[in-house]
Amino acid sequence: MSPPILSVENLVVAYGRVEAVRGVSFHADAGSLVTLVGANGAGKTSILNAIAGLVRPRSGHVRYAGKDVTRRAAHRLVSDGLVQVPEGRLILGTLTVEENLQLGGWQRRSTQAASIEEMYQRFPLLAERRALVAGALSGGEQQMLAIARALVALPTVLLMDEPSMGLAPKVVDEVFRVIAQIRASGTTVVLVEQNARRALRAADYGYVLETGQVAHEGPASELLTDPRVVEAYLGLE
Amino acid sequence: MQQLLNGIFLGSIYALFAIGFTLVFGVLDRLNLAHSAVFSTSAFVGIELVARAGLSIWVTLPIIFVFGGVLGLVIERVAFRPLKGRHDAHFAGLISSIALGAMFLALLQAGFGPDTRRFPPDAFPQQRLEFAGAVVSVLQLVIVVVAFALMVGLTLMVSRSRLGRGMRAVAENPHAALVLGIDVDRITALTFALSSALGGVAGVLFALNVNSAQISMGSSIELKGLAVIIVGGLGSLPGAMLGGLLVGLAEVFAVTYVGSSWRDVIAFGLLFSILLLRPQGIFGARQVREI
Amino acid sequence: MSGFLDSYASTITFMALTGVFAYSFYAVLMAGQLSLAQAGLASAAAFTSSLVVPAEPLFGVIPRLVVGIAVGMTVGAALAFLLGLPVMRLRGVFLAIATLAFGEVVRILLINQSWTGGAEGLSFPKLVGIPQAWLALAVVAYWFWRLGGSRLGRALAAIREDELAAKAMGIDVTRHRMMSFVTSGAVAGLYGVLLAHFVRFADPNAFGFSTAVEGLVTAVVGGTALFIGPLLGSVFLTALPELQRAIGVEAGWIRPFVSGLMLLLVILFLPGGLAALIPHRPGRVGHPDALPDLPPLPAAGTPIASLRAIRKDYGGVHAVHDVDLDIAASEIVGLIGPNGAGKTTLINIVSGLVPPTSGEGTVVGIPVGSGVPAHRIALAGVSRTFQQIKLFDRLSALDNVLVGAHRVSRPTLLRRLILLPSARRDERLALAQAFAQLTRVGLADRARQAAGDLPYGDQRRLEIARALAAHPTLLILDEPAAGMNHVEAHRLSVLIRGLADDGVTILLIEHNVRMVLETCTRVVVLDFGEVIAAGDPATVARDPRVVEAYLGAEDDGAESA
Repeated sequence: MSPPILSVENLVVAYGRVEAVRGVSFHADAGSLVTLVGANGAGKTSILNAIAGLVRPRSGHVRYAGKDVTRRAAHRLVSDGLVQVPEGRLILGTLTVEENLQLGGWQRRSTQAASIEEMYQRFPLLAERRALVAGALSGGEQQMLAIARALVALPTVLLMDEPSMGLAPKVVDEVFRVIAQIRASGTTVVLVEQNARRALRAADYGYVLETGQVAHEGPASELLTDPRVVEAYLGLE
Repeated sequence: MQQLLNGIFLGSIYALFAIGFTLVFGVLDRLNLAHSAVFSTSAFVGIELVARAGLSIWVTLPIIFVFGGVLGLVIERVAFRPLKGRHDAHFAGLISSIALGAMFLALLQAGFGPDTRRFPPDAFPQQRLEFAGAVVSVLQLVIVVVAFALMVGLTLMVSRSRLGRGMRAVAENPHAALVLGIDVDRITALTFALSSALGGVAGVLFALNVNSAQISMGSSIELKGLAVIIVGGLGSLPGAMLGGLLVGLAEVFAVTYVGSSWRDVIAFGLLFSILLLRPQGIFGARQVREI
Repeated sequence: MSGFLDSYASTITFMALTGVFAYSFYAVLMAGQLSLAQAGLASAAAFTSSLVVPAEPLFGVIPRLVVGIAVGMTVGAALAFLLGLPVMRLRGVFLAIATLAFGEVVRILLINQSWTGGAEGLSFPKLVGIPQAWLALAVVAYWFWRLGGSRLGRALAAIREDELAAKAMGIDVTRHRMMSFVTSGAVAGLYGVLLAHFVRFADPNAFGFSTAVEGLVTAVVGGTALFIGPLLGSVFLTALPELQRAIGVEAGWIRPFVSGLMLLLVILFLPGGLAALIPHRPGRVGHPDALPDLPPLPAAGTPIASLRAIRKDYGGVHAVHDVDLDIAASEIVGLIGPNGAGKTTLINIVSGLVPPTSGEGTVVGIPVGSGVPAHRIALAGVSRTFQQIKLFDRLSALDNVLVGAHRVSRPTLLRRLILLPSARRDERLALAQAFAQLTRVGLADRARQAAGDLPYGDQRRLEIARALAAHPTLLILDEPAAGMNHVEAHRLSVLIRGLADDGVTILLIEHNVRMVLETCTRVVVLDFGEVIAAGDPATVARDPRVVEAYLGAEDDGAESA
């Protein structure tokens, strides 16, 4: 059994003033879809930010493709294939769709053009709007753009932070369809979601986080029917 | 007509100086008050290169471009980088850049003494041309052409090139840029370098225009530069260009019709009115920042 | 000795004068404003005084200099007021540039007047020497010393640290900023008159951009957090070139170089200036006794807030959509819901920070959306904490809570200036109130520590203590348990329930649903800006719509991996 492509050990993150993550460990096997679920404030975003090099953890380790990347700069991680689709999408609204995609390829100059073409084929909606300023897109379209942008970076591991947030249910369907396709193509996906049921249905393995720690973990299908998951969100005994 | 042309010449130098200012503010949200020191220093060094080393103006300008760029890197590294993440970063950046600028000027005085420097008389062509009833010197034409070429070049670079995209990304949202894998520190340094390179060339052009350079030349243009970028809109490149021309023209006309002692009021009068009526400036789209 | 004084008379006088000038910057910097108009104001004051200073003492008794100073300070203050009116809404860089431009405009206007002598300048009688300069400095320093410990001084420091939080404590930010502006103008005017009558000469060009920058440098190097800062700055920066001269360094460029270097080093490594080097005295530790007389809180069940059909739209997004909310005294109402459900927007509407797009209601008697500014609503009895903790980091825990007591304490500056004992007594009452709140949340032993240095859990509790110091009718807590573990959250829950027992009404946003169930008497659930459930906590938590809002629907589409 090959070692997991991404593993996090005893991660502690004090993000600003909040001690958001208090010793979290998890891992993702290559090609799998792992999900971190939990209520807001449970520390999920801080974990992804720490993995992506956007926040320096107070202690703990992140290992990617066999190397310790805990202190690696964010831009180096992207060029290594660890790419994030951030919470709130962080689309550059004053730039066009095409420019956003080009920026996705910042670390992949040689393959950029080909990847962008591929994205246009996969997301015809974006192709139609390629010259439009990204701020004019709807929420769902922006989420697609954010995902496409990340894919242009040719990720080996894709970190997705709350892709369904603020989107109407039908759009959420679309998003999860795309996530399934990404996973099918061999990319490892670490998915953080507040919508636990959706996420667990899509995932292979799940971790339930509560106030900065892993409360439960297990194969996603088991967690779906585990009453303790509901309890973790709503505090019922 | 003569005045119109004079205004354009003066205005294009103001614009070139201001565009450096607004570039740093637009991308990095920082006001670099050492910019005027780069202006002055480059003027002196430019004169040295022509007078002592006997270089032609065409060789000097690119050298100054690089020299200014290096100064920009120093400014970023010394006055701004250490303040990253501090909650009073904006205020502290103003102060640290003032300080560094003062140090540059002091060194300038050490190296060149307090006197005015001039270009040697035969440093460049003296011909004059007739144009629509006004007299224009080749020198002034050169100034306008160089200034415009640089500004147009910058604008094209920012809107078309990969580096320009990166800068615009950082300008809109540095965190998003980080997520995309952009090396924000490097973009920051390059932005400063570019800004100061332009400021340096502006300094040499200014010295050419009035054929003199003094240590204090920076302070009056600094204030005008601030006026220009606020009038044009902080962070807007076309705003800086238009604003510079406006201020240049207004000044020249004011001197002709009202008297030279009121010259500087124009820039500030414009500045004040814009701040009160339309704080984002002519082209500005950003919100008035709360620091 | 007199020989020494004579040869250094000029330097010693300049030390005092630059100190006065630096105080004019201090006056605005203490409120967090960077204003650079002081040079122009000083100039205007100096020249105006030349028109007014009589040849003989006024009425045979009032010294000529005093007349000049009185006029100069009035001119400075008046011009500052005029300048302040339009620029009050500007901040940071914009304010700095606008004020700088103003200063320049004054300079140019004055240069073009004949009565100022134009660029040639004007000569002035010598009326100022060491005693006058140092007396003036002492008076100014005294003023700022007494300001420091007064309610006004604390309010200005609060505005400097966090304007929004200050507003939420009932401080009228605009009025306070204007006050500091006008003070700065008066002190700048004083400087202008003194300088002109010492150097015996003045021309408008001497009060330009570089003068303004020098004044700023002095204030910053000295330090802007303690009243002694400008004095330290001026002594240091005036003595420095003298020292250089004494050790034989003559070159003209070295002085500005060193001064620039000093400034750079200070701002990079010692942001608090020289004043920060002074060890912080622990201060009076006596635990005061009598509490101020506070009105009783409303009886349980009295309606406190009542909102109907509240809507808030941002562009096309309905942040809050048709929300009804009622809060009665002594209730603990919990507001829960997934991310982006509109909870913070709703409490911003209740606390007056944000007006609703439509809807009506009252909060502590004030109609919602009537344009009443947030600080007035705070003064009416609504206090709050913030999601990201907005403490005044550089102030001590006690000072933070003292600012919170703004509403229930009396202004003391004027009485402090003449050392009136009633001022002391009022300060003691405010202190008692503050200590009582610190004790209530369990932080009495951390009173003197800087708020920014406290551990996270203590900071949350401190923010609550600060909000309590205003003796609020309605206390709004925005995610007070964020980042806390079960034990800490439980202790917080106990504290909150204790407050309700004391009669405080509480509106609480939380993500920690377990804690909400433990603490609240009633729960309201928001999703996509609408109320989807409300009522008794245990029932609401089991409501399938609530579960679905948080976890997603049971049969959410047929799509799966």
